[in-house]
Amino acid sequence: MSVQIRNNVHVAGNGSATMVFAHGFGCDQTMWRFLAPAFAERFRTISFDLVGSGRSDLSAYDRDKYGTLHGYADDLLEILDAFATGPVVFVGHSVSTMIGLLATIKAPERFVAQVMVGPSPCYINDGDYVGGFSREDIGELLETMDANYLGWSSSLAPAIMGAPGRPELRAELTDSFCRNDPEIAKHFARVTFLSDHRADLPHSTVPALILQCSDDLVAPLEVGRYLHRHLPNSTLHVIDNVGHCPHMSAPTESSRVIEGFLARTLR
Amino acid sequence: MNGALPGGDTLFEHAACALVVTGADGVILGANATACTWLGYGEEELVGKVRMRDLLPVGARLFYHTHCQPILEVQGSVAEIQVNLVNRGKERLPVLINIARRQADGASFDHWALFKAADRHAYERELLAARKAAEAALEARREAETRLQAANARLSAADRRKDEFLATLSHELRNPLAPMRSALDVLTFKLGNSAEPRLIQAFDRQLRHLTRLVDDLMEVSRITQGRMQLSRATVELTALVRSAAHDLAPMMAAARHTLHVHVADGPVLVDGDATRLAQVVLNLLANAAKYTPDGGTIELHLACVPGMAEIRVRDNGIGIPTAALATVFDMFSQLEPALDRAKGGLGIGLALVRGIVELHGGTVGAASEGPGRGSEFTVRLPLAMGAACPAAPEQDDTPPASVRILVVDDNQDAAETLTMALAMFGCETRTVHTAGAALDIVAAFRPDVALLDIGLPDMNGYELARRLRQAPGGTAMKLIAITGWGQQKDREQAQAAGFDHHMTKPIELGKLRDLLATEFPGR
Repeated sequence: MSVQIRNNVHVAGNGSATMVFAHGFGCDQTMWRFLAPAFAERFRTISFDLVGSGRSDLSAYDRDKYGTLHGYADDLLEILDAFATGPVVFVGHSVSTMIGLLATIKAPERFVAQVMVGPSPCYINDGDYVGGFSREDIGELLETMDANYLGWSSSLAPAIMGAPGRPELRAELTDSFCRNDPEIAKHFARVTFLSDHRADLPHSTVPALILQCSDDLVAPLEVGRYLHRHLPNSTLHVIDNVGHCPHMSAPTESSRVIEGFLARTLR
Repeated sequence: MNGALPGGDTLFEHAACALVVTGADGVILGANATACTWLGYGEEELVGKVRMRDLLPVGARLFYHTHCQPILEVQGSVAEIQVNLVNRGKERLPVLINIARRQADGASFDHWALFKAADRHAYERELLAARKAAEAALEARREAETRLQAANARLSAADRRKDEFLATLSHELRNPLAPMRSALDVLTFKLGNSAEPRLIQAFDRQLRHLTRLVDDLMEVSRITQGRMQLSRATVELTALVRSAAHDLAPMMAAARHTLHVHVADGPVLVDGDATRLAQVVLNLLANAAKYTPDGGTIELHLACVPGMAEIRVRDNGIGIPTAALATVFDMFSQLEPALDRAKGGLGIGLALVRGIVELHGGTVGAASEGPGRGSEFTVRLPLAMGAACPAAPEQDDTPPASVRILVVDDNQDAAETLTMALAMFGCETRTVHTAGAALDIVAAFRPDVALLDIGLPDMNGYELARRLRQAPGGTAMKLIAITGWGQQKDREQAQAAGFDHHMTKPIELGKLRDLLATEFPGR
């Protein structure tokens, strides 16, 4: 199967270097719409959907392969093989920051920089480590997902819209955003929120920008500080923002910080 | 506006849903009275102090951040998010939330509408619980299936190892048998009559027996491992079946069984391996002989039914319990405790039969009316390509021909009529009226059959029978006793004297003819 179809890969922009954007849990590449265009003038930009999310090929979702983030990291490297030119800057949000981190460990030569938006190596509190959540909280999240997927889900959306024979209409339905296959989403939630990549941090030497929100429930400030301490070649920048998605709610500020980081790192 | 309708403020304050406005940072900027009532706070306690997300339990808060917020950013609204709110009294209120993002004076505000969803919530929880139960059941079944598959795989592996073991075992057992056979032959030759012949014979018999067991075992192993090669050719079954019957005559005689052979008119042609097919008939006959008490009756039939050759072996032996019929062809079925183990054996003879028959594209079945009521085994083999059953003869009463028969009866009339009848059947006959005359003539005439009256003037028929057996060719001779009494005692006496058959006066010629046809088929 082609990597393009599997990951619904979109390439835009021009440049001798490549920027690849990987979305976070629960959503899809649409979330980069406010940020990625700013870089398309100077970079070749690649955005894609993680397998199981958005408009990726759901039939490629293999619970074993995607039972850890390594499966996604392997996909990322395949996408770069197929579409990247020149040096690569990885930009990941939330769970994808760890996917990128694993890829930089597997193939450090492929990357010149990694931008981590709202990263967390481990969501669950563990002794002195503050991840922000308990195991019970994650169980409650899964329950909430269940309750909300029962009423409506991506599989129902085309039928409700009454246009199953016209997929192009579906493509235009902006409200299909963040509506993923319930079963896959639940499995992905488990893999995401139960993952623990703290031990991997010291092995990633690719220069990293940790873009941390000042008020983020998902990835609290302590997590950003922890990352900064354990990632060998990292810069921490706290952006004044409430929430977990500064690339959406504060795109201008976010891109300015990223530009600055890249200017320093790639000079 | 109609004065009976509530004013806008009342409609807002006491709407059937809770209405809340928040700023970009999520802090509540306004709430209607319904919201305050549901949440248990005064408006002044909420506004500027509490964020809506603080009212969500942690899991729902996480969901809000990873799901609702991005949708709000991209779409400007979310609809029908189902969550619990935690009110001041720490009660959980199931609600459906709609949020619309509005811009005013360069700032963005979120308008929240909250609807009570307790019933819906309860109902959906039930649905969820039902789904989870179904999933758990499915998972349990999957696990059970997986375990079953694993068990099957283990059994298959064990079965394969058993087959391999048997193949190796039979091969290894066979190796020492050949030199033992040679050594025995040398011993027999060297020692000749000086050795104890009974010891040598016992050794010889047991060695043959052991060799046959090992050979059977090896061949069954070959079949189960798919390594048996058939040397196929067109095989004519009538000759093959007769030859097999002939080969087992000593075994039948040793157990004083009577073997009736009924063979269809040939040719009955199948495509197969003559040696293996002979083995099938031999095994079935040996099996019948083994499981029939001495002095039994065994029938071997070969018939041609459209498209098929049918071989049937029937005995009046110990029979097979109904429950064992299904497994009688399985290897080691003899080890079933339900079956009489007194006869011993590995129980592979019938397994071999089935294996060979199936390799020929045929079928084999067993039937029995139960313990003590005999058994019948039926083998069906497809006829060779282009072969058909021979046309039935015009008449069924083809007489047996050229059988030499000696008639001994002191009643001249009886002897004469009998002789005439036999001549009519095409037999060559000699008639004498005394035992002495019979003994005089037997060496020269070499009869196939001797019909003896028991009440002779010079010697009784039993004594004559014993003497005839001693004469040249006497062991192969068929001796038929003719007496005036058909009582069990008479039959037993005749049998004890070495008679093969017993007939009662007056002789029914039809019966005699059938008997001869059975004993000398095709003559």
